[in-house]
Amino acid sequence: MPPPYDLRSLEGLLYRLITAPSGVAEGLAMEKSLDDGGLSRIIAGDQRLSSIERVDIYANMYFYRLLEVLQEDFPATLAILGADRFHNLVTGYLIEYPPAHFSIMHAGRNLADFLRDHPIREDFPFIADLARMERALIEVFHAADASALDAEQMRAIAPANWPSIKLGLHPAIEILELEWKVPEVLRAVERGEEPRPPTRENVGVIVWRNRNVAHHREIDAVERDLLTALAKGISFAEVCEAIAAGVEGEDLAAVVNRRLEVWLGAGILVLSGT
Amino acid sequence: MKRSDFPFLGFGIGLRRDHYVHIIETHPKVDWFEILSENFMVPGGRPLEVLDQVKEHYPLVMHGVSMSIGSTDPIRIDYLCELKALAKRAAPAWVSDHLCWTGVGGRNLHDLLPLPYTPEVARHVSERIREVQDFLERPILIENVSSYMAFNDSTMTEWEFISEIAEQADCGILLDINNIFVSAFNHKFNPREYIDAIPIERVIQFHLAGHSDHGTYLLDTHDHPVRDEVWDLYAHAARRVGLVSALIEWDDNIPEFEVLAQTADKARSIHESVMEESHRNAAAIRSSIA
Repeated sequence: MPPPYDLRSLEGLLYRLITAPSGVAEGLAMEKSLDDGGLSRIIAGDQRLSSIERVDIYANMYFYRLLEVLQEDFPATLAILGADRFHNLVTGYLIEYPPAHFSIMHAGRNLADFLRDHPIREDFPFIADLARMERALIEVFHAADASALDAEQMRAIAPANWPSIKLGLHPAIEILELEWKVPEVLRAVERGEEPRPPTRENVGVIVWRNRNVAHHREIDAVERDLLTALAKGISFAEVCEAIAAGVEGEDLAAVVNRRLEVWLGAGILVLSGT
Repeated sequence: MKRSDFPFLGFGIGLRRDHYVHIIETHPKVDWFEILSENFMVPGGRPLEVLDQVKEHYPLVMHGVSMSIGSTDPIRIDYLCELKALAKRAAPAWVSDHLCWTGVGGRNLHDLLPLPYTPEVARHVSERIREVQDFLERPILIENVSSYMAFNDSTMTEWEFISEIAEQADCGILLDINNIFVSAFNHKFNPREYIDAIPIERVIQFHLAGHSDHGTYLLDTHDHPVRDEVWDLYAHAARRVGLVSALIEWDDNIPEFEVLAQTADKARSIHESVMEESHRNAAAIRSSIA
């Protein structure tokens, strides 16, 4: 008797059963050409475990492995929602965004997009912003390496050449514009405190990596615009001009110096040309 | 491919995040480390820095979980490109992955699923391994997985299947002793029969790990000490296969590094006593002939 399935059909069937949101038995009921007997003709069952129970082992491992990864990647989202809501959220997320990348580290890449229009926002309107920020921390942690410009290197450049040097942003940086002050939620979770819902307020945030640790801090509109310009690569003279536009009644050199000191200390600038 | 193409590395440990600092700062006495390839297939950051530091002091081997060599999807060239780039950086003694499929239709289950053991599927997998080896410009090792389901269409045993593929693809075998034990319980076969049938010249590495007992089945969880029955099976495999590198895997409930080092030492001491026993037996036979 010819096999009931070729390999591609078999893998497709198992994929559907393992990822069926309500379990293998209900997934099986959706398979028009198969009943329970059909599965036992394909997968050997015995008195210890039926064919459905055997596929169920894989279905459980699929879900709980991904749940564990997402719990680890989104600790503040988990703390805010609680284990049960998070579990249900992940169930829906995996239906809409089943993993496609070869690395499980990418499993949570679309969670913030998934939450953007999710009904859970009625009770937790800030949740997409929170997930977005947590994901940014993961992204910068693994982002590409580059040699960050530090104060010593900057001082080694002849002052006459400063205006023309080209500055850029380190690749391990994300600039976020959020509608809720979710950094305060993250800080609470990082300190091990009970997080409270954040206030509604547009806020810019920079997320970056320095010495292999991911950091975040809020930024004002001027800094956000500067960093956005720096991301495209601009000269030091252009940086000064942009800062000057936002300075009133202050010493421009002091303001530029203050900004530079923060950026160089954080390791977020790279030299992209002289 | 022959075993002498690969160095004997001794008794190693899986490199895991929990132990990065300890390893980098204290350089503990360990023969070698195995890295999980996908954990280091990232653009930058700490994992690659750790990799560079560890490889300065220890031999490395790359072990992957996402090649999906048994899938019916085309082999992912983006995956192979990143794997090859990592191999260039890590300079591993060898590269391995699993005899399984992990996804289909462009989707990934992030699990190691078994295949039906038939000559047609063996041919399908062998062709893909050859394709991968050509791309990577090196032979690879394939590892037997723990499985919880078996297919009625199978016409070969698992040991016939993996042996056939290794021959056709001309690749090495990473023999996971714990996986043989787990699958033997789950599918009611004799694990020693499996080991006795494997072509020994293709076995380049052993894996040893713990599993959990769920009553009606065993689950390959890598979160327990290696069980005595698995050590016995390892001794049997070492007796048959001879000088082969072995590695301790521990992925969950990871203990202090010292526990892993002691487990690697236990593998070494079992291997040494098996070798001594073989030498004694050979000497006794020689003297009886004389």
